[in-house]
Amino acid sequence: MSEKFEPKVVAFVCNWCTYAGADLTGTSRIKYAPNVKIIRFPCTGRIDFMLLMKAFANGADGIIVSGCHPNDCHYSTGNFHARRRWMVFKSMLEFMGVDTRRIVFSWVSAAEGAKWAQLVNTSVEEFRKLGSYDAYKQVAKLNIEKEVFNG
Amino acid sequence: MDDIRKKAKELLENKTVQVVIGYGKGSGEEARAIFVRDAAKTDQLIFDETCLQNLAVYILKHEVKHLGKIAIVATSSVLRSIMILASEQQLKDGDLVVLGITSDGKYIDLPNFKAIEDYLATLNVSITDKEKELLKMIDAMTMEERWAWWQNEFSKCFKCYACRSACPMCYCPKCTTDSNQPQWIPVASHQLGNMEWHLMRAMHLAGRCINCGECAKACPMDIPLNLLTYKMIDEMNANFGVTVGMKPDAVFALSTFKNEDKENFIR
Amino acid sequence: MARIGVFICHCGENISATVDCAKVAAVASNFPGVAYSVDYKYMCSDPGQRMIIDAIKEKKLDGIVVGSCSPRMHEPTFRRATAEGGLNPFLCEMANLREHCSWVHEKGDVTTAKAIDLVRTLVEKVKRNTPLLPIKVPVTKTALVIGGGVAGIQAALDIANTGHKVVMVERDPSIGGHMSQLSETFPTLDCSQCILTPRMVEVAQHPNITLYTYAEVESLDGFVGNFKVKIRKKAKSINEKDCTGCGLCCTKCPTKKIPSEFEQGLGFRSAIYVPFPQAVPNKPVIDKENCTYYTKGKCRVCEKVCPTKAIRFDQEDEILEIEIGAIVICTGFNILKTSFFPEYGYGVYKDVIDGLQFERLASASGPTLGEIRRPSDGKIPQKIVFIACAGSRDPAKGIEYCSKICCMYTAKHAMLYKHKVHEGKAYIFYMDIRAGGKMYEEFVRRAIVEDEAQYIRGRVSKVYEKNGKLIVVGADTLLGAMPVEIEADMVVLATAGIASEGAESLAQKLHVSYDAYKFFAEAHPKLKPVETNTAGIFLAGACQAPKDIPESVSAASGAAVKVAALFSNDELTRDPMVAFVNRTAPPVFSTCVGCFLCQPVCPYQAIEKEEIKDRQGKTIKTVARINPGLCQGCGTCVALCRNKAIDILGYTNEQVYTEVVALLNEY
Repeated sequence: MSEKFEPKVVAFVCNWCTYAGADLTGTSRIKYAPNVKIIRFPCTGRIDFMLLMKAFANGADGIIVSGCHPNDCHYSTGNFHARRRWMVFKSMLEFMGVDTRRIVFSWVSAAEGAKWAQLVNTSVEEFRKLGSYDAYKQVAKLNIEKEVFNG
Repeated sequence: MDDIRKKAKELLENKTVQVVIGYGKGSGEEARAIFVRDAAKTDQLIFDETCLQNLAVYILKHEVKHLGKIAIVATSSVLRSIMILASEQQLKDGDLVVLGITSDGKYIDLPNFKAIEDYLATLNVSITDKEKELLKMIDAMTMEERWAWWQNEFSKCFKCYACRSACPMCYCPKCTTDSNQPQWIPVASHQLGNMEWHLMRAMHLAGRCINCGECAKACPMDIPLNLLTYKMIDEMNANFGVTVGMKPDAVFALSTFKNEDKENFIR
Repeated sequence: MARIGVFICHCGENISATVDCAKVAAVASNFPGVAYSVDYKYMCSDPGQRMIIDAIKEKKLDGIVVGSCSPRMHEPTFRRATAEGGLNPFLCEMANLREHCSWVHEKGDVTTAKAIDLVRTLVEKVKRNTPLLPIKVPVTKTALVIGGGVAGIQAALDIANTGHKVVMVERDPSIGGHMSQLSETFPTLDCSQCILTPRMVEVAQHPNITLYTYAEVESLDGFVGNFKVKIRKKAKSINEKDCTGCGLCCTKCPTKKIPSEFEQGLGFRSAIYVPFPQAVPNKPVIDKENCTYYTKGKCRVCEKVCPTKAIRFDQEDEILEIEIGAIVICTGFNILKTSFFPEYGYGVYKDVIDGLQFERLASASGPTLGEIRRPSDGKIPQKIVFIACAGSRDPAKGIEYCSKICCMYTAKHAMLYKHKVHEGKAYIFYMDIRAGGKMYEEFVRRAIVEDEAQYIRGRVSKVYEKNGKLIVVGADTLLGAMPVEIEADMVVLATAGIASEGAESLAQKLHVSYDAYKFFAEAHPKLKPVETNTAGIFLAGACQAPKDIPESVSAASGAAVKVAALFSNDELTRDPMVAFVNRTAPPVFSTCVGCFLCQPVCPYQAIEKEEIKDRQGKTIKTVARINPGLCQGCGTCVALCRNKAIDILGYTNEQVYTEVVALLNEY
């Protein structure tokens, strides 16, 4: 492979802050790496930890999880609950040897369009350096090049 | 022990309970759980160092509930399980009779949840040094080593779900692993499915596990599953100052939060 | 097989400049279950929407994916079109090809490929969408107005005059706000009290308005149309019903040397006090921190002299719980004080004062009865220096914005000074004169031409005291930064307008956003200037940013109309994307085990216990139930539920799971 490795990155973001922040990135025409694709959730509190595992199991090399800053949650407390869960989940993954450098947690507000672009770019660069998440893909029996999806 | 037999007999005779869950002699070296329904048979109840099983697992089993009101021989693990079941609204004070027993076999009168709470407060329930050593051993590994170590352990799993059946906290009649819309956990016992199952199990026990170790004991492949939940106990304690299973009305650590919860990884 | 319609929008060239829209549509047409796929210049235009409506009918579509701008922009538009085509509007999803793709990536195959991935993801999601029906909830037609300044007064009166009930909460013992402290107002120089006090009285007497002064919002629950607010009525230590407001207690109170907040510390008040003579309500409160009885346990003079025996030393704070349907936040602003300006000697030299203090000096009811006398020795200043932009537009001070009102009030101050001290001379150091507004520029001109205010363009570097004079050292940048030194008798700083104290914590209690300066944030700076991002909560006045009186009043009337519009409905239609606990056939009834660990997670107390009973009325099982009227759809309970007994419409487990899989896998 002579081509530069391009990580597949899924972003799990809340509708009110980070999704809107990413909208602002667009409105401000700030460019960022196209590797990241966003899935919209109502709140970080809705993001089931199993979904992150599913992203890895389906070939993601990196994951971004982002929502409202503490005290800014549209639902007032969803992000606080999410933060606790992430603390527990992250240490569990670390304990099991999952590469948690591949999960970037962040707070990006609706006003932080520039932060979103920067977050994506630095994360993608980090994921690129880490390379393909082959350890997980082997476990998931993923043919690293292509997988047929029977949707 | 005689106190317990006497108490059990009395409870069955005066029909306060219909069944006494306790330990009896097993076929091999170890004791097994017995369900005494006849006052005359209460002398089958024993207690010795082999009586380690967390009997609380039976409290919510449909087959046991069906028998009527229960009395249970309760070690500290059973008592702590009862506390969690109470805080998860599965048990009310008075739903069952608790025959408390110390590790050296002495009967303790625990008439209600308050008494259990007070008794538990006198016990040291922190994880043992041996357990801490095990955690340290794994923590000392590199990420790749940990991954390989666990993958090797998980590769032995064939999804018999004995870990789930043995756990007093796995009382959901329909587990996530049984749901297929979507199929959260692959049915087949392959590497991914095994890992996802054990990850999910450990996450679902975070803040609920009291470290009775039944899961690991039940595992026919000797996977040290309890390490995963030990880790969670450690985390709960370090991050949120929580020791689970000490009070009948404790708030689940992941049902709440503090503004000042401290992490160092959110960007 | 599903029959999904895919509509790819060029958005003029906004999308098509970097994404090959025709290719996206062509690839999508081969997705399993896609029955129709097309691209078009402007999907949101009338003909674009018509394409969707027609295609639904002609191609018998059962799901719509529009690949265009952000759903935050046009989701309502396309859902409406979907409904017009005869489908349930919630069978329409949008792939964000503009904000999240074409605008942020370079033109090329990768960008087009990403657009295809996004469309595929939403196609798979929409296959799992179900028709949803909007939820109707009743509206409590009572508004809460927080803050009793001019904005709050206007909002309360406007709402009350439409026939709806208003509850007004004011933190201070009297309503009136900063406007009641002002002497005269620009650009007409009418007396502030004269125009405001009648409106204050109107608030107090209006049959539709309930006024709580010396009270604060403690907490807020619920949602638009159905809020529950807790109000803390701080103990005034008097029985308001018995008190006639005769004022005898205030006259007899032995503790008299407390700096008056209303007089900005230039006058004094007693421990039991009415903040100012025209206060509404005109009834005293006891300042517990300064009252000798509360601090030392002795005195009770007021109790002895009170002719109606209205003093209540044992009165405690009272918490009121009120149901309301909408909220207008009018908590106003404050001005920078304290030692923020060491270079100007503020707080060191008694004769360096701020704008609000000058207002009190100029006010006919102020501590000097309207004579301009300097605080140190009561002499009438012969030379006075006004410093505009004290703190404002000064990144070094952390305030980059323009406080907006200072240019005008400084001109007014110079004018008032000249009107009262005919022989005096006023100097004004300024950065720019910003006098945009009806009659504003003319007003400033008048100050310069008629009242001989001398404007010096430049900053003041230092103020120091010498022989009883304040030496103001500055530069005149219009004269090539020529140094200027003025021996002044008094210096007035037009300090920056800042967010009101406690604004941040109030915003958090109300779950509304605020900006970096702790001013409340509007939903849209141009098109939704009085709305917040939280439905049913509106803004008016200077709590949003520094504003002058006319602006505050118009915003208040605007917010009042929004409230009245809300109250014109008996029922509100709410988004049906709420969480629910599954129900299955007996004997299971629900996979919910009734652990209720989800209950404390809900910010809206929407999770209830439901007892499932047999025919004899015996409880078989207790399970959770989510009240669809209270649920706001955050889904925090969904992710918490161990065995997936809770799910959420619009973001179901199946939908989001499929999105993850579809995003990462091509067919």
